Amino acid sequence: MKLVKVAASGAIVALCALTLGACGSKSSSSTSKQVLNWNETAELPTMDLSTATDTVSFDMLNNTMEGLYRLGKNSKIEPGLATKTKVSSDGLTYTFTLRKGAKWSNGDKVTAKDFVYSWRRTLNPKTNSQYAYLFEGVKNATDIMNGKKSPETAGIKAVGDYKLVVTLDRQIPYLKLLMGFPVFFPQNQKVVEKYGSKYGTASKYMVYDGPFQMTGWTGTNLKWTLKKNTNYWDKKNVKLSAINYKVNKTTTTSYNLYQSGKLDATSLSAEQAKQLKGQTGYTIRKAASTFYFQYNQKNAAFKNKKIRQALSMVVNREQFVKKVLGDGSVPSKGLVSMGLASRNGEDFATAAYQKNGVTYNLSEAKKLWNEGLKELGKTSLEFTLLSDDTDKAKNTTAFIQSAIESNLKGSKINVSNVPFKTRLARTTSGDFDVVISAWGADFSDPISFLDLFTSDNSYNAGKWSNAQYDKLIAASKTTDAGDTAKRWNDLVSAEKILMNDQGVAPLYQQATAWMIKPKVKGVIYNSAGANYNFKNAYISGN
Amino acid sequence: MKKYLAKRVFYMVLTLFLVATITFFLMKLMPGTPYSNQEKMTPEQISIMNKQYCLDKPVWMQYLIYLVGMLHGDMGTSFQFSNQPVSYLIATRLGASAQLGIQAMIFGVFFGIILGSIAAINRNTWVDTLVTVLSIIGKSVPNFVLAVLLQYYIALKLGILPIADWGGFSYTILPTIALGVGPLAETARFIRTGMVDVLNSDYIELARAKGLSKFQVVYHHALRNSLIPLVTLIGPYTVALMTGSMVIENIFSIPGIGEQFVKSITTNDYPTIMGVTMLFSAGLVAVILLTDIIYGIIDPRIRLAGNGD
Repeated sequence: MKLVKVAASGAIVALCALTLGACGSKSSSSTSKQVLNWNETAELPTMDLSTATDTVSFDMLNNTMEGLYRLGKNSKIEPGLATKTKVSSDGLTYTFTLRKGAKWSNGDKVTAKDFVYSWRRTLNPKTNSQYAYLFEGVKNATDIMNGKKSPETAGIKAVGDYKLVVTLDRQIPYLKLLMGFPVFFPQNQKVVEKYGSKYGTASKYMVYDGPFQMTGWTGTNLKWTLKKNTNYWDKKNVKLSAINYKVNKTTTTSYNLYQSGKLDATSLSAEQAKQLKGQTGYTIRKAASTFYFQYNQKNAAFKNKKIRQALSMVVNREQFVKKVLGDGSVPSKGLVSMGLASRNGEDFATAAYQKNGVTYNLSEAKKLWNEGLKELGKTSLEFTLLSDDTDKAKNTTAFIQSAIESNLKGSKINVSNVPFKTRLARTTSGDFDVVISAWGADFSDPISFLDLFTSDNSYNAGKWSNAQYDKLIAASKTTDAGDTAKRWNDLVSAEKILMNDQGVAPLYQQATAWMIKPKVKGVIYNSAGANYNFKNAYISGN
Repeated sequence: MKKYLAKRVFYMVLTLFLVATITFFLMKLMPGTPYSNQEKMTPEQISIMNKQYCLDKPVWMQYLIYLVGMLHGDMGTSFQFSNQPVSYLIATRLGASAQLGIQAMIFGVFFGIILGSIAAINRNTWVDTLVTVLSIIGKSVPNFVLAVLLQYYIALKLGILPIADWGGFSYTILPTIALGVGPLAETARFIRTGMVDVLNSDYIELARAKGLSKFQVVYHHALRNSLIPLVTLIGPYTVALMTGSMVIENIFSIPGIGEQFVKSITTNDYPTIMGVTMLFSAGLVAVILLTDIIYGIIDPRIRLAGNGD
């Protein structure tokens, strides 16, 4: 049937092609030049850094704008606009000295006032920033967001053009890391006010202070270009003359374009990943994103630790990521994702690894399940497993349902696959038994994950609570905040408690498979925050 | 005629009003917020945002606010594309979808009429069977399967047309074919059936007796009457094609409106949902009216309802 179809349509196409003559074949000679052709699978929604929420926007902002620091390889901080940083002895005041000679793409000087304006704008509730919460800890930030204080009271002050003083309510040990996240970048007041509500809605309604500047984005179209910013202070280290972005939402299409040489990089679907594994250019990009079981502790059954442990141990994560997902995702070692943070060469996930928290152990699972049921005085347990309604989520719940029901006697699972927004709403309101939740870190510090499960955290929808855990997290933010080693140990111990008690049961760390042409060099990818940094990327050979 | 038109326009407005009302209240039943970073915002932050966007008000009040906005031509701003007016979103996205839809329709109807006529003239021969089989295949194979095959063989392997993107007529050929095969198959079936009936009628017999050529008989006499049932089909089909096909737009990376609609629903982008729904409905009711008028022009036997009352 397919053959007939192809033959028939082929004839029609040939006819059309004949009548059209030579249109369509355009020569492109960009391969040897310093031009990169990159695929995105989603549109660019905004270039306004105060209101951006998605990875495409953050990637574009990260490459066209610059803050006090840039995130380099392995989330290491590299110089941005700050040349010197002085921290007060109590850790509550940061004085940044700014680079002289840094300019916006319109020629204006980048000054400390641009930072003050940008932060106040983001914090102002009228701006409707969905990422303003990252400012928590900066003096008065929370009160400003909640409309209780005016934006002018924010703990950020310009002293002259090149000195910026930031004051904090509490210590933020990862403050420098945050400064590499686009929400903390400067904005040019003159330009923002000139364009008003149009600011950031198209490439022409913007001004840039980063390695590249954007052209060709109308706000809704599917292609745009980042070209080298000749006003950038470090332009001699920017090697690419342009990055052409195309939005192809279907990976079949983008892979066809990749094969034809029109694209240098594209992400792959799970099916494609399985087929292309091991080929030249195949690259896995791990995200700082963990999928986990969250148990509702209001349900007596899930207050029982043995039941929680049994449900976690019965899932063969290795088999699951290979056979079901196949997109490069890996089994979690714990809640905090791998490759997020390290100290003295040791990854946090390795340091806090608790084998029994994430390991497949069928016999132990069965034993714990039976003991757990006995403690509850039950012979069977029926519950609902809540998850998203994507194909991937449906495959996940099917695998888990089968693993649990076929191995744990007396278990009965009702799977509920609902749209993402519904899943969130039901989770937040506590309307679930077990939910497969996911969390992606905004910045490369373990606290980005561990903060979620303190007793009073509003994201802790399952209401798991552990006094020792709360104490350790609190200590990491107060008494031990200034001491890197102590803070690290607090967080490691906290994660161990969470894993041993199975407050949540991590399943896998999400990853995406890519095909990237080997000629593309020097691209920096970080799993948290803005993912891609093309400042030092270049093309070498064909 | 004027009275009839006025009545029809009044019903159109009424229909649109009902569509707007029903969609608005159904939309508000969907759980969740329109914020894309909802999972990371605290309940306090969400309630502050709700206040900013008037989403904390009772639904009926939000509805009134929406209606007043609509009457002033303000469709609101999108949540997904922050600060982007919905009218701009639609304006920049509709063109590609509309162009593709019209091209696909012309392609489908043109070749459909040819194939259908050939089948009718050669009825009960192998030609007829072949056309019937082809149109059943054309109708039953989903257009995205065809799209993927066309893209792979014609664009990637043969390299004679672009794989994807939007930038000139050559970029529209493959998506036009993929979208047009459905209407082509449907048209061929309609025309064949209609024409077989017509070819059996007395006046065709007369035309033949007058010594007209086969082509003249078919073209001048048979085709016009066979087209009537097609008119009913073409109108709504064109609207459906013009307002975009999410799958085809995604496969060929066309900046169309089709996907926006689906995405706006999954992200609770209220103003966009309303904007695109109203656009679709307005298109549809307008086309239905137009179809009725065209009917009268093509076939004088069919009188507009109420005409001459």
